[in-house]
Amino acid sequence: MSTAIADPAVMSAPKVESTPWLDEAPRREVSEDLPAWYLDLQNDAWKKFLDTPDPTRFDEEWRFADLKKLRFARLNPVESASAPSSIVARAQNDLTEDYAAHFVFANNELIHSEIKDLPEGATCMPINQALEEHGDLVREHFMKEERSLGGDKFAALHAAATLSGLFVHFPKGCVAEHPVVAHHYVGGELAPIFPHTLIIADENSDVTVMDNFESINEGEQSLAIGVVDLIATNGAKLQYVAYQDCSDTGAKHVQINNTRVGRDAQVKSAFINLGAAWVRNESLNRMTDNGADSQIFGASLATENQEYDQRTLQCHEAEHTTSDLLFKNALYDKARTIFGGLIQVLPGAHHTDSFQTCRNLLGSEEAEANATPGLEINADQVKCSHGSTSGQISDEEIFYLQARGIPAEKARQMISFGFLNEAVQRLDNKDVEEYISDKIDAKFRELLA
Amino acid sequence: MSNNSLQITDLHAKVEGTEVEILKGLTLEIPKGEVHAIMGPNGSGKSTLSKVMAGNEEYEVTSGSVTMDGEDLLALEIDERSRAGFFLAFQYPHEIPGVSNANFLRAARQARLPKGEEIDAIAFYKEMYEKMDLLGIDRKFTGRSVNDGFSGGEKKRNEILQMMVLEPKYAVLDETDSGLDIDALKIVSEGVNAMRSPERGFLVITHYQRLLDYIIPDVVHVMADGRIVKTGGKDLALELEEKGYDWVTQELAPA
Amino acid sequence: MEAVSIDQSEGDFSYPEDYAHDAGTGLNEGTIDYISEIKKEADWIREFRKKALKVFNDKPMPTHWASEDLENIVFQNIRYYLSKGQTPSRNWDEVPDDVKETFERLGIPEKERKFLAGVEAQFDSEAAYSNVKIELEKEGVIFVNSTEGLREHPEIFRKWFGKVIPTGDNKFSALNSAVFSGGSFIYVPPGVKVKHPLQAYFRINAENFGQFERTLIIVDEGAEVTYMEGCTAPKFETATLHSAVVELVAMKDAKIQYITVQNWSNNVFNLVTKRGLAHENAEIRWIDCNIGSRLTMKYPGVIMKGRKARGEVISIALANDGQHQDTGAKMIHAADETTSNIVAKSISVGKGRSTYRGQVHIPKHLKGCKNNTECDALLINSSSRTDTYPAITVRGNQHATQHEASVSQVSEDQIFYMKQRGLSEGEAMSLSVNGFVNDLVREFPMEYSVELKRLIDMEMEDSVG
Repeated sequence: MSTAIADPAVMSAPKVESTPWLDEAPRREVSEDLPAWYLDLQNDAWKKFLDTPDPTRFDEEWRFADLKKLRFARLNPVESASAPSSIVARAQNDLTEDYAAHFVFANNELIHSEIKDLPEGATCMPINQALEEHGDLVREHFMKEERSLGGDKFAALHAAATLSGLFVHFPKGCVAEHPVVAHHYVGGELAPIFPHTLIIADENSDVTVMDNFESINEGEQSLAIGVVDLIATNGAKLQYVAYQDCSDTGAKHVQINNTRVGRDAQVKSAFINLGAAWVRNESLNRMTDNGADSQIFGASLATENQEYDQRTLQCHEAEHTTSDLLFKNALYDKARTIFGGLIQVLPGAHHTDSFQTCRNLLGSEEAEANATPGLEINADQVKCSHGSTSGQISDEEIFYLQARGIPAEKARQMISFGFLNEAVQRLDNKDVEEYISDKIDAKFRELLA
Repeated sequence: MSNNSLQITDLHAKVEGTEVEILKGLTLEIPKGEVHAIMGPNGSGKSTLSKVMAGNEEYEVTSGSVTMDGEDLLALEIDERSRAGFFLAFQYPHEIPGVSNANFLRAARQARLPKGEEIDAIAFYKEMYEKMDLLGIDRKFTGRSVNDGFSGGEKKRNEILQMMVLEPKYAVLDETDSGLDIDALKIVSEGVNAMRSPERGFLVITHYQRLLDYIIPDVVHVMADGRIVKTGGKDLALELEEKGYDWVTQELAPA
Repeated sequence: MEAVSIDQSEGDFSYPEDYAHDAGTGLNEGTIDYISEIKKEADWIREFRKKALKVFNDKPMPTHWASEDLENIVFQNIRYYLSKGQTPSRNWDEVPDDVKETFERLGIPEKERKFLAGVEAQFDSEAAYSNVKIELEKEGVIFVNSTEGLREHPEIFRKWFGKVIPTGDNKFSALNSAVFSGGSFIYVPPGVKVKHPLQAYFRINAENFGQFERTLIIVDEGAEVTYMEGCTAPKFETATLHSAVVELVAMKDAKIQYITVQNWSNNVFNLVTKRGLAHENAEIRWIDCNIGSRLTMKYPGVIMKGRKARGEVISIALANDGQHQDTGAKMIHAADETTSNIVAKSISVGKGRSTYRGQVHIPKHLKGCKNNTECDALLINSSSRTDTYPAITVRGNQHATQHEASVSQVSEDQIFYMKQRGLSEGEAMSLSVNGFVNDLVREFPMEYSVELKRLIDMEMEDSVG
């Protein structure tokens, strides 16, 4: 991927030395029965982590990123969270209207699980348990994506570490009306967590999963590296939401979604960012068989000194595949957003329809929005477009609402909320949609009061 | 071989690159001065016939012949067939963004002149405007891009305008009535009727009898499974309308 | 209508080489001394060149983001300076016969009589002919080649020379700064509106040659000028390099329109840096058409330095078999209420590849800036390729940017439809392509739009063989 125009500053920049974040892989004894292939994978990943240099300004995948935010002090080993029952209570108070199952993880440990309404045949369990009980399925799909949008060092550390998170398998015809929800908490100074989500949706199944990332305490430095494998085949419908509202001051969050969509299947995936000091989202979508469809949404509210760095790839590898991406960012104070998106239509992927839109609402004089929406088209009978806009709420819009009796401040809230909510509305699950809409609304009430 | 007709003899054609045969020995003759209609259920091969005659490369002719006034039509390139006097009004006319109708028609007319000879622009516009008036087409139309953003009715009217300007010897109208309301249908039919002449033959392909109330055919053919299964006068269309296409598939189709 | 000749086949001829000055192949300090001595340059220019050579040598090839085809340029095999020792003449009769015949075959003198206010014709490294209408000269308009400009008018040109595009901007601007020769120097005094275009024509005659013209145009307060450039080269077996630097300075309320129709033969690496500096309420407009060359890398830019300055790039690129058109635009907003507009259309045919790269930058503490970018790509044939890589940075809540891009193609169905109306495949494709660029071509002066259309027709006819 090459997108730059010669920039002399970049060419003469000194190399950044890699800082050792850790001396050994962040592992903890979880089971004696982990399969050998997995232990090999972990060891290889740790080597890869050590061998992979930190991102530099030379890397196109990190263009516009503030690399200072990536410099980590040494990470500490994770300890079990104290007062788990109060964390569980907090999670239970923070649920969607209805749900199929609920899991709570704190500092990489499962502290609560509830199966409420899973369809027969569906599997939903912690990934460490699945390594033992569904080893073959996990082995077939776990972190199989070889391409990277720049975060391969993070992904390697994730693979080398002790994981938390869910394994979800919906076999043929399994349909759940309500979402599977997992809360992931991180706490303790410089603590890292590694939530993994692996979702396999087989023929004509329909599943929705939401991960919810939060900090236990405000103001602590922490790092969450989440990797998600989404696999949908043969007419399946899979929805996945990564909702993140970590500590604005200290939390760093890396979320890497690797999506593989098979024949006539559809995946909808979304990033919702309302917190954390620094966020890197990567969404790699491969439409590998005819009729595959991937829809990717983002809604982010960035304030203060937050930086949200989002990179996406919509890769069309087969005929009659479609994808649509809509990322919306509302920016305030000195916040920065970066959107780097690429639509790639490989040779032979004829009759592809692919769209990509990034819209930025700038709410302060110092907020900064960067966009590099890219297209690489190598096939025929293709309909592709991208659009990127940035602007602000116009006085006319405010005036219109005022003329209907709504105070200016409320009008501003409503318009801002509506701006982000447009992306949320593209989801197909009422429980999740309402949950997120309420959260965004609350944030704007607080911000624009 | 007639020197005064469009003659299709035992025509077999399949989808290019496959073994799917669509035309299975179709024979038909349209003498100059006559209007023939082909009716048939969906999937009988009506539209394929029109595309094969025009030279569409999606289909491969495996045997049989098509001659136009004795000339082997199948030996010609697509554009050579057109310049030789064969016209197809498309069921789904294509959009050509950025290319105005006037430029397009002018280019098509220019292509019919000997090399080095320039079209008389003033005479061309005068003629085009007259024909547009006949079809009730607004003057602004000439500056619009070909079929781009046109309604279904506008597209079909444009097909007829092109036919009038290019003055073919034989014209095939492929489901020109589909998607037209009754007023548009009348205008299109008037255009076709104005073109009827002893020097020109028509083949009107349609699914519905309604069109034939306005363009009265001399001969009606019924098509099923890639062949002509029945031929009659204009009353055959009414009979078909009354009995429905099941009648064709069940009783007329060769076993 | 006859127009400026930009047809590659018309340009495919050359005359036997007969040079009084030849710097030989390869590039080192000696090459620079040779050029400087022939040009009798001031010491500061020689120093400027030598510093640039160091920068050029130190800079890596930008292959980490650009085409690897760049690696195929062998700098040591290139001839950096060739001239017949001529000083540019104001009278075609005084131009050496073969050079004069070259430009006559390309139709330059005829066009000069018809619609140009001034012409400069460059043959390899130096201008052979340079003339500006006497009325303009009386008003103080300067239109000379760069050698003469630096020698005769340092008080005007030195101030801006290398300021809009610093030597180290990129590897090829450094190369140009080291070995530049030829190109135009233009100065338009305050309030003078040059009605007819000034034209430059660049001709490469020798094999393995590198042409490095340097153009600087300064348009003073309230003045206006339109500059057009054309170029051709014979089709040699080996690669030829063309690497120009073009700097424009539009003072308060000034207007510059710079039109390029690039039609190098398909063995030319065309690596050009073009940028303009627009002061308060000034307007700089690049109209850039790239039809020829093997690889073109060119992203005309405007730095909007004064309030209400305006920048515009209109770009058309046609990439046929064996060609890569890597073009785009750079818009740097550096003052309040500045507006920029980019409209880029590319066509990829056969195995051709086109790339759009764009940069729009609106830094903080500015108010009321606007950018609009549209880039559309047309693909013809499944082996062609198109890429679009814009980059947009906006700071602050008082701006508006908008970027739209789309990809479409001439479908087989569309071609079938047109052929059924009697058009040949080539005619059908020409019509589609001309339709695609139609709205941009309307922005061109008449002489160029007619020629461009003719050129597209020819390219499309060729592409279907």
